[in-house]
Amino acid sequence: MNAVENKSAENPFAESPFVGDEVEQTEITTAPEAALGEIYAAIAEFESSHELLAAVKEVRQRGYTALDTMTPFPVHGMDEAIGLKHSRLGWLVLALGATGAGCALLLQWWTGAVDYPLNIGGKPLFAIEFAMPVTFELLVLFAAFAAVIGMLSWNGLPRLYHPAFNYSRFEGASNDRFLLVIEKEDPLFEAEASAEMLRELGGANVELVEP
Amino acid sequence: MSDLAIYSPAHGDALAEVSPPLVEGQPSHSKVTDDVAGVTERAVPRAWYVAISISGALTLMLVGMLAHQVNTGVGVWGNNAPVFWGWPITNFVFWVGIGHAGTLISAVLFLFRQRWRTSINRFAEAMTLFAVVCAAIFPVFHVGRVWRAYWLLPLPNSMDMWPNFRSPLLWDVFAVSTYATVSAMFWYVGLIPDLATMRDRAKTPRRRRIFGLLSLGWRGSNRQWRHYEKAYLLLAGLSTPLVLSVHSIVSFDFAVAVIPGWHTTIFPPYFVAGAIFSGFAMVVTLMVILRWVFSLEHLVTMGHLEKMNKIILATGTIVGYAYGIEFFTAWYSGNPYETFVFLNRAMGPYAWAYWTMVSCNVIFPQLFWFKRVRTSIPAMFAISIFVNVGMWFERFVIVTTSLHRDYLPSSWGYFSPTMIDILTFVGTIGLFFTLILLFVRFLPIIAISEVKGAIEADHPAH
Amino acid sequence: MTDPMSEPMTGQKMTGQKMTGQKTTGQKTTGHGMKSPAEGNGPVRKQPLQLGGREHWRSLDQLSGTKEFRGWVEREFPENATELSDPSRRGVLKLMAASLGLAGLTACQRPVEQILPFSRGVEDTIPGKAVYYATSMPLGGVSTGLLVESNDGRPTKIEGNPKHPSSLGACSAYAQASVLGLYDPDRSQAVYRAGNRSSWGDFQAFAGPHFSNAGDGAGLRFLSEPISSPSLEAVRSHVLRKFPKAKWTEYAPLDSGAAKAGSEIAFGQQAGPRLVPRFAYDKADVILSLDHDFLGLDEPTTIPTREFSRRRRVSSEKDSMNRLYMVEAQYSVTGAMADHRLRMRLGDVRRFAEALAAELGLLPPTLRVLNNGQSKEDRWVSALARDLKANTGRCLVVAGPRQPAAVHALTYWINEALGNLGETVSFVETGKAEKPSAEAGRGTNTQPLEELAAEMAAGQVDTLVILGGNPAYNAPADFDFTANLKKVANTIHLGLERDETAVLCQWHLPEAHYLEAWGDGRAHDGTVSLQQPLIQPLYGGKSASELLAMVSSHENLRGYDIVRNYWLARWASSAGEKTWRRCLHDGLVPDTAYTVSRPKVNAKAIRAALKLAPAATSDGIEIGFYPDSGVYDGRFTNNGWLQEAPDPMTKLTWDNAALMSAATASALGVEPGDVVSIEAAGGETMMPVFIQPGHADRSISLALGYGRMQCGQVGQGTGRNAYLIRTAAGSGFLPGAEVRKTGQKHVLASTQEHQSMEGRPLVREATLEDYTEHPNFATEAVEHPPLLSLYEEPSYDQGHQWGMAIDLNSCVGCNACLVACQSENNIPVVGKDEVLRGREMHWIRLDRYYAGDPEDPQAVSQPVNCQQCENAPCENVCPVAATAHSPEGLNDMAYNRCVGTRYCANNCPYKVRRFNFFDFSEGLAEVQKMAFNPNVTVRVRGVMEKCTYCVQRIQEKKIAARADGRPLEDGEIKTACQQTCPAEAIVFGDINDAESRVSKLKAQNRDYAMLGELNTKPRTTYLAKLRNPNPELT
Repeated sequence: MNAVENKSAENPFAESPFVGDEVEQTEITTAPEAALGEIYAAIAEFESSHELLAAVKEVRQRGYTALDTMTPFPVHGMDEAIGLKHSRLGWLVLALGATGAGCALLLQWWTGAVDYPLNIGGKPLFAIEFAMPVTFELLVLFAAFAAVIGMLSWNGLPRLYHPAFNYSRFEGASNDRFLLVIEKEDPLFEAEASAEMLRELGGANVELVEP
Repeated sequence: MSDLAIYSPAHGDALAEVSPPLVEGQPSHSKVTDDVAGVTERAVPRAWYVAISISGALTLMLVGMLAHQVNTGVGVWGNNAPVFWGWPITNFVFWVGIGHAGTLISAVLFLFRQRWRTSINRFAEAMTLFAVVCAAIFPVFHVGRVWRAYWLLPLPNSMDMWPNFRSPLLWDVFAVSTYATVSAMFWYVGLIPDLATMRDRAKTPRRRRIFGLLSLGWRGSNRQWRHYEKAYLLLAGLSTPLVLSVHSIVSFDFAVAVIPGWHTTIFPPYFVAGAIFSGFAMVVTLMVILRWVFSLEHLVTMGHLEKMNKIILATGTIVGYAYGIEFFTAWYSGNPYETFVFLNRAMGPYAWAYWTMVSCNVIFPQLFWFKRVRTSIPAMFAISIFVNVGMWFERFVIVTTSLHRDYLPSSWGYFSPTMIDILTFVGTIGLFFTLILLFVRFLPIIAISEVKGAIEADHPAH
Repeated sequence: MTDPMSEPMTGQKMTGQKMTGQKTTGQKTTGHGMKSPAEGNGPVRKQPLQLGGREHWRSLDQLSGTKEFRGWVEREFPENATELSDPSRRGVLKLMAASLGLAGLTACQRPVEQILPFSRGVEDTIPGKAVYYATSMPLGGVSTGLLVESNDGRPTKIEGNPKHPSSLGACSAYAQASVLGLYDPDRSQAVYRAGNRSSWGDFQAFAGPHFSNAGDGAGLRFLSEPISSPSLEAVRSHVLRKFPKAKWTEYAPLDSGAAKAGSEIAFGQQAGPRLVPRFAYDKADVILSLDHDFLGLDEPTTIPTREFSRRRRVSSEKDSMNRLYMVEAQYSVTGAMADHRLRMRLGDVRRFAEALAAELGLLPPTLRVLNNGQSKEDRWVSALARDLKANTGRCLVVAGPRQPAAVHALTYWINEALGNLGETVSFVETGKAEKPSAEAGRGTNTQPLEELAAEMAAGQVDTLVILGGNPAYNAPADFDFTANLKKVANTIHLGLERDETAVLCQWHLPEAHYLEAWGDGRAHDGTVSLQQPLIQPLYGGKSASELLAMVSSHENLRGYDIVRNYWLARWASSAGEKTWRRCLHDGLVPDTAYTVSRPKVNAKAIRAALKLAPAATSDGIEIGFYPDSGVYDGRFTNNGWLQEAPDPMTKLTWDNAALMSAATASALGVEPGDVVSIEAAGGETMMPVFIQPGHADRSISLALGYGRMQCGQVGQGTGRNAYLIRTAAGSGFLPGAEVRKTGQKHVLASTQEHQSMEGRPLVREATLEDYTEHPNFATEAVEHPPLLSLYEEPSYDQGHQWGMAIDLNSCVGCNACLVACQSENNIPVVGKDEVLRGREMHWIRLDRYYAGDPEDPQAVSQPVNCQQCENAPCENVCPVAATAHSPEGLNDMAYNRCVGTRYCANNCPYKVRRFNFFDFSEGLAEVQKMAFNPNVTVRVRGVMEKCTYCVQRIQEKKIAARADGRPLEDGEIKTACQQTCPAEAIVFGDINDAESRVSKLKAQNRDYAMLGELNTKPRTTYLAKLRNPNPELT
């Protein structure tokens, strides 16, 4: 335990899976005994997405709001169950796509008709006809960047350390386990009570995970 | 079918009949993970080492050839007057064409909710990237002064000059580079969850560090999935028109020119169909080998292969139609130069190339009308190879036969490649396979999380 | 990586190239197993090569002193040329760089004598501004007046001298290319004695005592090419006075001996003045040519072309034009221009002439029937005779140099009978005739040489002085000249290169190039033109008269004094100096033309001669010998420009071939490219077969001048030697040759693989008759929808708008424009291998198409340069805007912006763009770079190039006009191709100026734009071709 603390002190990523080795992993599993002050969330493990979905609905029933799940693939209906709105990414992409197209037109018009006008094959200095291909390509390019960078930043990625990694059987979340997370921020959160509730909802290996 | 009935009582047998399983044997999530991720963890088959040493050697040869060409001059190739573009551009269009299957399978099939794509899209996307890399080599190195090739980009320079946006070649620069970038992002975004899987099952700190960095700290949280799915959908939506635009623009290189045999409006659809055609053929060729080598038959099922063969049949027929209609247009236009070019293709000095193309692209794929052929591994392998060859010849025919006899008979000529031409092309094949082999060795060749999602959707009651 | 194109070629730049060039040279030479001094003594070779520009030559002075270097350079030329296992041109060029050591030592100095530029005086020469000097070039016994452009002391470009009767401003491809010969590093560079390097000093040490002991010169013989130089003739008679028993022989493999011999038969004044015919082609309405390629290579000047084309110039459907009948075996450019062409073996031409004479009533009617009386030939004779009779006094009958003297005599008779003497034919007195040489009907006058050979064989010759020429290579095979030469005790050879003759002589002396030496010469009409040098001898050569002065009076007379004193002695001393300056300036001496005489034909002698002449043997294959459009008689074999200039008809480069008809080939069972062995008159030669449509059957034509054994690196190993079977009796043509297939193959490099126009309206042609009925046939030839554009097209109605009109009716397809362009625009030579890949670089090419019966087709020739399209397809596709349009309508090419995608060349419908697949100018010797036009960039590897309408000339004149504050005059700017065109077929000018010549031509109804239906709006347009056939024969 202390060992863990020291580690985290000297290295924020100490517990992140990238630096830890087998030995540390085993230490982390002792998390449940952690003092209340240092808790990030209570995490339980479910067998299937259906059980998870059921549990989430139940927990919401009981008024919990700061919920999250960790699953190997997106579970449909989970957003509604947790009460999340649709992603706004589309608007960002639209905006940047428009910008891309605009830049392309500006570039072609300015370089061809303003900065260095040349009579080339008797064609006009600028015409929408021959400007189309480049305009379209830049539209797509900008939009694509918007989609990817927007998604990463809104997901807070890259983030190489996250408290959830401290859950002893976290690796299941990327394989065949379905984790339910009740975060400390939740007004109703009470470590033991929340943990107990998760157990009775069928959650296995419930742990109070430290940040 | 029967096992499906057992595993999914929710489906009536009738239903089960019409929608066969996407993966056979109904493996558990963890089995999927083990099967796919295991490929990169298990001991490497000796065949892999043999293969990579061959392809690696060819890649080195490619480097040598390009160095020689840059050092001596474009003259080391067979390019001449009037065939100023010879093999390099042929190879460029060939590789770019192959590079279309990946994004198409991922994006278009994704939009159409074709869940069967999940088993092949990852590999197809990777193949796309590698093909585009090979393609990009040619337009860059075929110019007379490679050290000035960057002038094709709109960069401020000592002459204060800008590129000429009227030139299809410049459109090409933008199209191909955009396509490469977007395909790469699409591929990587798809990889992130699987990279996290690799990270979490990593046995050694080194693997954990590497995959940890690559997966950017992905944890499969629902909040992440929410944006992730949206982003993936948008990328798919953007890539679909992109795929079409890229090969249309490549076709503009020819269609916008005044040369008879090039200057024709049918080129964009004709090229796109051809690209999909050759792309799928290449996927089939490689998938047939991979699923066998890494025993993934239950993930990449005969169902998948058959579907791809159907697409090959469809696009092959479109291409055949294009060949035919070209002749009709040439005759119907009454343009003597146009008419001559097409008669010359079929009966001129390059008739051998033309008929190779027709038999490979139009005749053999028609065998896929028969289910027996469609579902026979050796047959589909052979035919997909034929299609690859045929599509290379299609580009050769378009580039060379149109140029070698254009308007003034006085400047007619004949093109024949030099050894350098041939070795350079073989070299790019080496590069292509080197990249493929590295990919299958170190990264999940099948989209793990997507396959799980597909299984899940198949059997909601599971 | 700096870009050589971004700045002009400065000294530093050259240094940069030179250093790399030299390094590769080192490797290359060692690679070829030759010792490079780098091995022996590294620093010596390297050090001077660091230097560039002017210092360069000074430093080479010490350099060439070092033993290693001398040894190295000597080894290369020419006897070790064979060491080149693979004479690939680029390798060769690298090797040549080695010889620069002996090149530019005196290169950039002006001659010390005072010479006068044509337009401006030397004193106000502006550096970088070209100065023009009048001089003249001797070829085939005639001196053609030239204006030579000199840039900072380097002659760089040859033009015709408008004031000179043999030029009238035009000049031939040979003259154009002669400047390259001046800077040829393979030229003889030193005195050699018995194959070892010697010096002029050594020679004088030998010559002094030797010739003073020569006494009356009993054993002394001189051999030279025919002399047309008055001053040299004076020196000759001086020498012959000094050595009364000495003999002087003239010989050239190609001359007008038959015509002279013919006049001796016809007018029989053996003792009297030698009469030579002069034909006025521009006065004749009907011309019959019996195997006389007067528009091509059978005339030493381009004047016949000029005169003939005057009568082909048609401004409207109302105009008339002349009619040309051609009877020949090989397909010549004259045959291509002909309105009626009859292919006939050379041996049968005499019969044809006799039949015509019979038809005209000069010879017994029994001779009238040629074949059965119904044959094509027979119909020809009668129709022709009627046509000639109808044009008495306005027609002309000429015979070619291959035809026996008797035939020439007969044509003179026919002309007299048709009343052409004094009208279209005149005879001029060209000095005294030697004893008759008319018998045996020889093409050339070989009898004197035969006598000399006999004396040599008999050991009567002790000293033989050979002044120019290469008899060991081109003397008639049956004289066995080479063997006889070995029998002569003392042989002295003065020549431009160390050729076959040079290596057989004790002494070889470097001759001064005509651009290096003082002299004079006679035009075809006798007018004397002065030959003033533009540069001091690069290799310390001397002229023939200087050498003669040395051997006869043991003094070092300067050519300047010899020529000047000769002429000053002829002018009133008061006016002398002034006249001299005037003559130098104009390039000719007024009132020196031959006198015209009105002789009477001696019919009896002609009848007799006709009996004398050998009957044409119709059995076996006949071999005809022709000058080569590139290398002439072999003197230009080492000239890259001429080697690569495609033959006007065969389009062959770098080779000669056995030209024959398809029928002959199948009869012999050979195919194009098969090497056949031709045995005749005891000799044998190997030749690759080439099928020449329209060639006479059972006849083979061979071009002379190839297969040189001792030749520079460029000409080494090109073609096969036809002299091996050319005898004195058969110097024109040789009946009864044995032709066998050898089984060997030889690849011929032709620049045009496809001969038919495929029915496309490229060259538009009509008969004069059709033209009068359909005046707009040229524009009506193509039907196309209205040419619309998506965009509003720019207007070109402001300022100058350059355009060009090419009259296909006057263009005869000689190569003058092509070579002139190469010289003006620094166009590289690429070599046979590259030509085979279609990579030749000519900016203007001549497309030649055949039409009609494949066995006996008509031929047309079309010059194609950049058409300067207003809607240029090439410009749109260039991704970096390296080619764009100038406000004056030029399709500009920015070399230093070009990255070399070659897309423009693909998209050019006219395929006039040329790409630098390699660095074709790499490794040029410093001396070769002296031939470059400083106003035109030398292109690097990997960039596109093409015709610019000589934009440098346009700018030069525009600046000059602006400086003088006057508007540009029409015709002030001449493109290189236009300036040299003997037929005046190319006209360039401002199409915005309605009064300009080009506008007037473009306004004619014959004017059309090639491929105009593509809406490219080319600025180069063509005037459709016309033919004027005889209704009786169509």
